[in-house]
Amino acid sequence: MAKVPEELPGDEAYTGDVPRAVPTKPMTRSSLAVGLPVVVVAVIILVLPLFIPSFVSSLVTKMMIYGLFGMSLNIIWGYAGIPSFGHAAFFGAGGYAAAILTLKVGISSFWLNLLLAIIATAIIAAILGVPAFRVFGVGAGAVNPIYFLLATIAFGELLSRVAIAVRPVTGGSTGLSGIPAPHLGLGFKMTSGRYYYLVFFITIVCLFIIYRVVNSRYGYALRGIHDNERRMQALGYNTWLYKYTSWIIAAAFAGVAGFMFAHFGGTMVPNNLAMITSDIAFLLVIMGSTTVFFGPLVASVVIVGVDYLSSVYLPERWPLIFGAMFVVTIMVIPQGLGVFILKLWRKVVRGAAA
Amino acid sequence: MSTALVTGLNGLSYAFILFLLAAGFSLTFGVMGVLNLTHGALFVFGAYVGLQVIDSFSAFWLAIIAAAVSLAVIGFLLYYLFLRHLYNKVPEQAVLTIGLGYMAANVILWIWGPRAQIAQTPHILTGALKVGGLGFPIYRIFICGVGLLVLGLLWWIQDRTRWGAIIRAGMDNKEMTVSLGINYGFVSTAVFLLGIALAGVAGILGAPILGAYPTMGDNLLLLTLIVVVVGGTGYIQGTMLGAFVIGMLDTFGKAYVPKTALFFAYVVFLIILLVRPSGLIGRKVF
Repeated sequence: MAKVPEELPGDEAYTGDVPRAVPTKPMTRSSLAVGLPVVVVAVIILVLPLFIPSFVSSLVTKMMIYGLFGMSLNIIWGYAGIPSFGHAAFFGAGGYAAAILTLKVGISSFWLNLLLAIIATAIIAAILGVPAFRVFGVGAGAVNPIYFLLATIAFGELLSRVAIAVRPVTGGSTGLSGIPAPHLGLGFKMTSGRYYYLVFFITIVCLFIIYRVVNSRYGYALRGIHDNERRMQALGYNTWLYKYTSWIIAAAFAGVAGFMFAHFGGTMVPNNLAMITSDIAFLLVIMGSTTVFFGPLVASVVIVGVDYLSSVYLPERWPLIFGAMFVVTIMVIPQGLGVFILKLWRKVVRGAAA
Repeated sequence: MSTALVTGLNGLSYAFILFLLAAGFSLTFGVMGVLNLTHGALFVFGAYVGLQVIDSFSAFWLAIIAAAVSLAVIGFLLYYLFLRHLYNKVPEQAVLTIGLGYMAANVILWIWGPRAQIAQTPHILTGALKVGGLGFPIYRIFICGVGLLVLGLLWWIQDRTRWGAIIRAGMDNKEMTVSLGINYGFVSTAVFLLGIALAGVAGILGAPILGAYPTMGDNLLLLTLIVVVVGGTGYIQGTMLGAFVIGMLDTFGKAYVPKTALFFAYVVFLIILLVRPSGLIGRKVF
């Protein structure tokens, strides 16, 4: 929720599935219009725990984790145009890495574990990426993305089967529980209140890196591949390599989100790798909008909020509500919430300038 | 050897249930270009509708018809309310149908409760056929019979009828087919409904073997996807071959190496993706 409008200036250049809906008028690139909301949102998140009960701040923690999860998927979906349905494979891989490293291997250092989790997730992504991109094919028109969707759905399920089968390491179908609070070293004692700030810090760093990646030459090449892969090939780009590396980058950030999620909830179950978790990532991106950088963050606020309300009032009907969010998003706001907020913000800025 | 024969029959009947399920999926997605991820949930819904009919009228034949008809109605609503507006937008269709799948599973849970149910096989079809000291369950033979019938019917439609020609032409070039004055929309909608009705038939036929519980749809959807990818889309033979490979592998795997059997389908799936992404018998998509 922190980085909200950072991408305002860069956003016009990006054309995705629903580019025409986004106003393309150049905006006043005053650093005030861009920086102010980022700082305001960041400060609000920083001081929020002082004013809200701790269960709400744990919801905000979850929003940040899910937000990062959604944005990691958006790197490949929104920017490179690769709709992966098995993103939970990497979320769960990061989470299981946290669980296995702390509980089974016995490494307590949070930062070392984080690094190892990222490496492990990237390796898994590198392995799965080879068959995945074999079916993705080449060229926006020539591709049959259906096969890619089918393949990626199966990846997450495959990993969750592995997690069920390799019982001594992963705890089987009951998963691993009792993941300890992060151990930062230097005698620093971790509480759930402090974990909030740790998640905030890591999320901010990740979002900054993602922002830099998608707005670099590399990121623009990905957008080019999304729009017209054949042309990018004609221009001499090795589009396979671009897609493959973006897949690994997205996986690594999903791994970070999963890693934080494992320490947040303290448990990892095979479902964290399976379709149900992939679908959350999916909803985060489509509800937040694939064309707006901060979209998944907005969606994560909505989804986690609705999840909480439903768990209080209608715990039995959560799948119904969850499913209805997909349907409503596609039928009513197919562009996503991010586009709305962007439009609103532009109006505000223009109004203030006039 | 002798138990292998019975396991073989079990595998074959399972393969035919997978075939009925996957044929519907493959038809909707080969012909309409619609990725319908509610297919698993619809299978479960068909099973429950059938069970309800058996409960009230105790007529298995009626249950099959009721499952097929109710699912065709749902399929029509699905098409009319939602999918009609999402032509050629595959990721959007996927998102929508995933959401509908969750809703359907929860509605099933709401109506029929979380308990797993097993259908009674009809009277004529219970018991076993004794051949040389081996007992082959008659119901499983019956499933194979129905599966073969549907396979033959679909094959005949695909290769020998005008509708089949329209469908094949439409898959090759939809614009050209439509511009020749053929009402492709009507034919493809009918095929879509047929495909969904087949899921219902599979649901009630499978209920005495697989049982029925609200969350079984996810697993079946995955198996369907694997069958479709392994077999390839566009030809009914491909779907049958995929269903046969996966059904046999799964059944024999569970019978002889139950621990590793969980992965067999996925391993085959990955190998097919790497070696022959268009499936064993599929139209060349790539």
